[in-house]
Amino acid sequence: MKAKDKIKLFLQGFLMINVIWYLLAVIVDMRVLPTPLDVYMNLNNLYDSRLHIHILVSLYRVILGVGISLVLGMLLGLLMAYSESWNKLLNPLVYFTYPIPKTALLPVVMLLLGLGDSSKVTIIVLILVFQVIIAVRDAVLHISQETYNPIKSLGASKLQIFRYITLPSILPAMLTNLRLSIGTALSILFFAEGYGTQLGIGYYILDAWGRIDYLGMYAGIVAISLFGFVLFVLIDILEETTCGWKA
Amino acid sequence: MLNIENLSVNYKSNRNMVHALGPVAMKIETGDIIAVIGPSGCGKSTLLHVLSGIIKDYDGIVTLNGTTLNPKVHDIGFIPQNFGLLPWKNVEKNCLLSLKIKKRIIDSKLIERMEYIMDKLNIQDLKDRYPKELSGGQKQRVAIARAFIMNPDLLLMDEPFSALDALTREEAQELFIDVWNQYKPTTVFVTHSIEEAIYMGKKIVIMSHCPGAIIETIDNPLFNTEDLRQNEEYLKLSSYIRSISKRGWKV
Repeated sequence: MKAKDKIKLFLQGFLMINVIWYLLAVIVDMRVLPTPLDVYMNLNNLYDSRLHIHILVSLYRVILGVGISLVLGMLLGLLMAYSESWNKLLNPLVYFTYPIPKTALLPVVMLLLGLGDSSKVTIIVLILVFQVIIAVRDAVLHISQETYNPIKSLGASKLQIFRYITLPSILPAMLTNLRLSIGTALSILFFAEGYGTQLGIGYYILDAWGRIDYLGMYAGIVAISLFGFVLFVLIDILEETTCGWKA
Repeated sequence: MLNIENLSVNYKSNRNMVHALGPVAMKIETGDIIAVIGPSGCGKSTLLHVLSGIIKDYDGIVTLNGTTLNPKVHDIGFIPQNFGLLPWKNVEKNCLLSLKIKKRIIDSKLIERMEYIMDKLNIQDLKDRYPKELSGGQKQRVAIARAFIMNPDLLLMDEPFSALDALTREEAQELFIDVWNQYKPTTVFVTHSIEEAIYMGKKIVIMSHCPGAIIETIDNPLFNTEDLRQNEEYLKLSSYIRSISKRGWKV
């Protein structure tokens, strides 16, 4: 998709959401649901409440959580795809733990790692890493053996086969996974920033809620949405530069 | 010279050992082009997989120019049936792939060679396209270009033209022979088309049913003749090969 179409799509979506929001606000007519106009008018006060710092702190937690999940998940996924015995060893573990709602482990993680960033990042990693492992393993196993033949006949080393065949083959699946992971990480963030911190966009929203500052609360919601959207666009750009051959 | 002695291949399938090929013996002079023809499932592709280093588990001896065949030592160009282009690389990068894997320094001489071959195969204008944006015939020409650019010690082709429609196929065969005559790399190709074997094979090796063994090797007098299909000899040779096929590809 061209940049121009994308901008059009964004504007259309933005407009639709705001119209729905506006209509709902007018119909409900309560202080807990202000109109978008009121919220946007209030946005310029946000610099005083240091919203940008909250966003940066959240960004740090998301990047760390998603980054660790990707690296760890890729390593384990590749290990399971390449080695039958590792797959036999790890598969039951992955299969069994996959459906456990990892958010339920939050108290355990908090007790073990304290209230700081490490427990927040750990819970993100716990939730994401399994889907990365499975996505990577399956993507590698789906590459047909024929794909490797011409490069094998060139006497390519294992590293070259990985670089020229495996990595580009699994890249589209990895990017889709990254997209899902970031969405999930943002949701977990909200939850994980509800305790033991004075910073982060999740904290900001919950704090405004507690202070009955509804305009501030909505501003936070708009900010976290835009934040998610920017990350989304960045993945789009990444996808277009690395997987242009698919389009 | 490519020397094959007592080659046979077995592989495991559902705990049974399958004898897929052999024993096969062949001597192929440097600069020859050999057509291997036989019924489907006779181990033709298996033979190519051994020669290309994809199958490493075989019995017997395979040497190229005096040393045991090894894709790390020898330059082997392999064109599979599906052309084997990497979908995430454009035509130019696909053509350069073999040189990169071989860690050759890509100097102006190599670039010149590449340009020349691409020009000859008429794919200059397709340089920036991805395989997805090419027709079957174009992909085929890119695959041929890629193989010739690396100047292989041994060129292998698995049913190289069978995925193309009849008209494209003839054109592609002509182009191929034209380029081949210029560089004359030692070539082995597998085909199920008698016509293709006669048109492109200096020698024609006829293989039997599974496990494939060699029924007969024919020195093809018609190799490199123009207007082949009007030639009387052509009809004789092709009906002879056809008679072997009718007898059931038996030794």
